[in-house]
Amino acid sequence: MPQPQRSYHDIKIGEALGPEEMFLSKDQVRAYARTTGMWVPRFTDDEGARKEGLPGMITPGNMSLALLSKLVTDWIGASDAQLVRVGTTYRQPVLPEHTIVLQGYITNTNDAERTAEMDIWIENEDAEKLVIGTATVQFAKS
Amino acid sequence: MVDYDPNLIGRVFEVTDPVPVTAQMVAEFCQATGDSGPLYTDEEAAKHGPYGTIVAPPSFAVTFRNGRQFFEYIPRFGRQGFDAGKDVEFAAPIRPGDTITLSSYVKEIYEKTGRTGSMVFVVVRSTLKNQDDEVVAHVDHRFMNRP
Amino acid sequence: MSTILDLHSHSEASEDSRAPLEAYLNWLKLRRTERPVDGIVLTEHRQFDKNADYRALEDKFSILVLKASEVETDYGHMLVFGVTDEMTRRFDFANVHLPAQVVIDEIAHMGGVVIPCHPGRPNVGLFEHYSKKPSLENVAAVEVYNGGSRKGEDERSLQLAERFGYGEIGGSDSHLVSLIGLCATRFEGDVRTIEDLVTELKGGAYGPVDFRPRRKPVQHAVAVEVK
Repeated sequence: MPQPQRSYHDIKIGEALGPEEMFLSKDQVRAYARTTGMWVPRFTDDEGARKEGLPGMITPGNMSLALLSKLVTDWIGASDAQLVRVGTTYRQPVLPEHTIVLQGYITNTNDAERTAEMDIWIENEDAEKLVIGTATVQFAKS
Repeated sequence: MVDYDPNLIGRVFEVTDPVPVTAQMVAEFCQATGDSGPLYTDEEAAKHGPYGTIVAPPSFAVTFRNGRQFFEYIPRFGRQGFDAGKDVEFAAPIRPGDTITLSSYVKEIYEKTGRTGSMVFVVVRSTLKNQDDEVVAHVDHRFMNRP
Repeated sequence: MSTILDLHSHSEASEDSRAPLEAYLNWLKLRRTERPVDGIVLTEHRQFDKNADYRALEDKFSILVLKASEVETDYGHMLVFGVTDEMTRRFDFANVHLPAQVVIDEIAHMGGVVIPCHPGRPNVGLFEHYSKKPSLENVAAVEVYNGGSRKGEDERSLQLAERFGYGEIGGSDSHLVSLIGLCATRFEGDVRTIEDLVTELKGGAYGPVDFRPRRKPVQHAVAVEVK
């Protein structure tokens, strides 16, 4: 699929990112934990996670941040722009073996800086926001 | 109100040894996050892209971690809790072949109550630099403790 | 003439919010059809900025902006409307263990009103405290619709508000721009100032309104293949 290509002037406040639905499997969470050196029970093993008082193995916060960052970089696509900031707050554990929805909206633009601000979040199947955050995309100034 | 040594704030407590970034690390990170963006996975496309080579996705920056003694350096308030969130500023791309160091300090400590009761937050700022001493990212980690 | 106000919101002044006030008001202007809100109340965490002046933004967007505070007590979080210097001298709003009954009674005496927010939350909401401690006196209302509620929490708040005969309000509790106005309160009277709001909350006719969109069923998604 060709990548989107946007100019700063194409952006409208209120424009949506996603929603993108994905099934987050335990295998994928373990792959993330393995490759990033986070191979600890809470991210890899249900029984081990329960011993820590968790309902089962959970997704690392860094992985949630990575998925939300990808939502933004997919939106950027081939545009002459970069993700320059992302901020996340982890409200509830993101449990694997569930479908999650990644979503966002453009909430503000700055003509002088040529930046776009966006709200981004991860929802579960009950529309509860598990991770919320914001991101800033910088478009080329020339 | 929480009790801690105010001299902790702003004082760099750790600079990590350089960590080399390999093409395999970047490829595995992309696989694990389901990211097939051509700048991160396609050498030919990346060559013609803004960076001239394959780069890691921006969020690769948060995978660099502090040393094993990290939690001995930062104040604890009762039971150590969880990663509460991060704020990351991306300054420059990370490429295979780079080596990355982290320099960290306690930025802020504050108390509040929330869904799980009383919490004390310790915010640690880490600055990532590459082998050219170029800042690639600033990462603010918010750690939640339960007194 | 009725007034609809989002009674619970956080701007960048609250440490866990990332929402500039102007962006909130612009969003409400854009979403006017789905969220017909006449104004918002900024209820910043554990603080009150008496000098903040939002009249220019109110005029620009024709949306009322009032100021209040969200404080933390031994019975959970509470919204304080009608904050005065006398109140901020009497109570340290940064204290996360304020004595709820004292706060409710003394602030009422000083001309304000205190309303428990998200009372249906497990572990920390007002009604959880009621299961372990005597219930509070002189509670005018509680927040039964909160934009950050999880499954079942608003329902619990509603049941218990009815049981205790409390008035009911709604607020978005937004910390993100796009979530402003999702829940609000409709007042039968005209509310143009914080004094009007306090009067209405104490004795007027009002009720919660819910502008949260109905969620479409989530489709079955495909897992990412990993080696």
